[in-house]
Amino acid sequence: MIDAYVDSLLLALRHDRSLARRVRREVEDHLWEAVRADPSVESREAQRRAIAVFGNPGLIAAQFAAVSLQKQTRRTGAAVVLIVAGVYITMKARVAWYALMECAISNEIAAIAQLVGSIDRYSFWLSVVLGAGCWAYSGRGGFQVSLSRKHRNLCRRFIFLCSAAAIALVVSVISDAVLTLLRLPKVDLSLEFLIPTLSMLCEILGAGVLVGQIRSTAQRVAITRTMLEAL
Amino acid sequence: MLKGHLDLIVLAALSGRPAHGYAVIEEIRRKSGQAFDLPEGTIYPALHRLEQAGLLVSHWETADSGRRRRVYALTRRGRGALAERRAVWQRFSDAIGGLLGTEPLTRLT
Repeated sequence: MIDAYVDSLLLALRHDRSLARRVRREVEDHLWEAVRADPSVESREAQRRAIAVFGNPGLIAAQFAAVSLQKQTRRTGAAVVLIVAGVYITMKARVAWYALMECAISNEIAAIAQLVGSIDRYSFWLSVVLGAGCWAYSGRGGFQVSLSRKHRNLCRRFIFLCSAAAIALVVSVISDAVLTLLRLPKVDLSLEFLIPTLSMLCEILGAGVLVGQIRSTAQRVAITRTMLEAL
Repeated sequence: MLKGHLDLIVLAALSGRPAHGYAVIEEIRRKSGQAFDLPEGTIYPALHRLEQAGLLVSHWETADSGRRRRVYALTRRGRGALAERRAVWQRFSDAIGGLLGTEPLTRLT
């Protein structure tokens, strides 16, 4: 009976596996302790009582989902800032490498490179500004048990800011990739080719992780809202 | 009313010594003279939320029964938050006490 109750609670928390694992152990421990503390009655009846006193699994799962959402938003706010900073360091390191290797862009494509470079710069700094906004919003937290209008708007603005920061960063990374392709003389296994390519892969990976993180946050907002509305 | 003060209640229950969820509920019942009858399960999201806010820390411990339990304890910040909330509650309680007073009630009787 206790297993079935815990399973129903965890089914609603399957979007956060680490939380679900911890909740399973805590809730099982609690319920069996309650059964042990009620030795006068038959075990099945004691289990039924322990479950009844523990409360509605839908309500408890929704409360856990709100806690999980708050953690996720903080993580996403930090991820935006760290990934944008990481891309900046990678970009600067690559430029320093080009200077060291005296790898210049030929005159025929200088105009295109300048245009792409401008797009890169503006989109990157836009991602910095939006990323700072995400980070500030994530610290505001306050994702309460009832996802009130105020908190729904907070979530909506947070997801919008994060998405806008991610789009600006993706544009910047694509521009970087174009500039890297314009600069690289030929495809081979020399350091001159491998270092910029690897740094580009790091940028692409960072942007991918950020997009995944934002997607996961948006999903959790939707799940938490659905759970709270079902109460 | 209880819902709005759950964090204060949990922090107060943990002020004596670290405890796992079941013991926190027992402590709340004992200290409140069985006055608070909240669904036991709602204590766990509150414990997780307070831990996330840095007011509690927790670790796994093995009980005599062999089961592993998550034991929660107040942090320095948690003690500060409890003292602050206790002071706010005291001011509120004094203000309500002053408003209700005993004088009008004795005059009625």
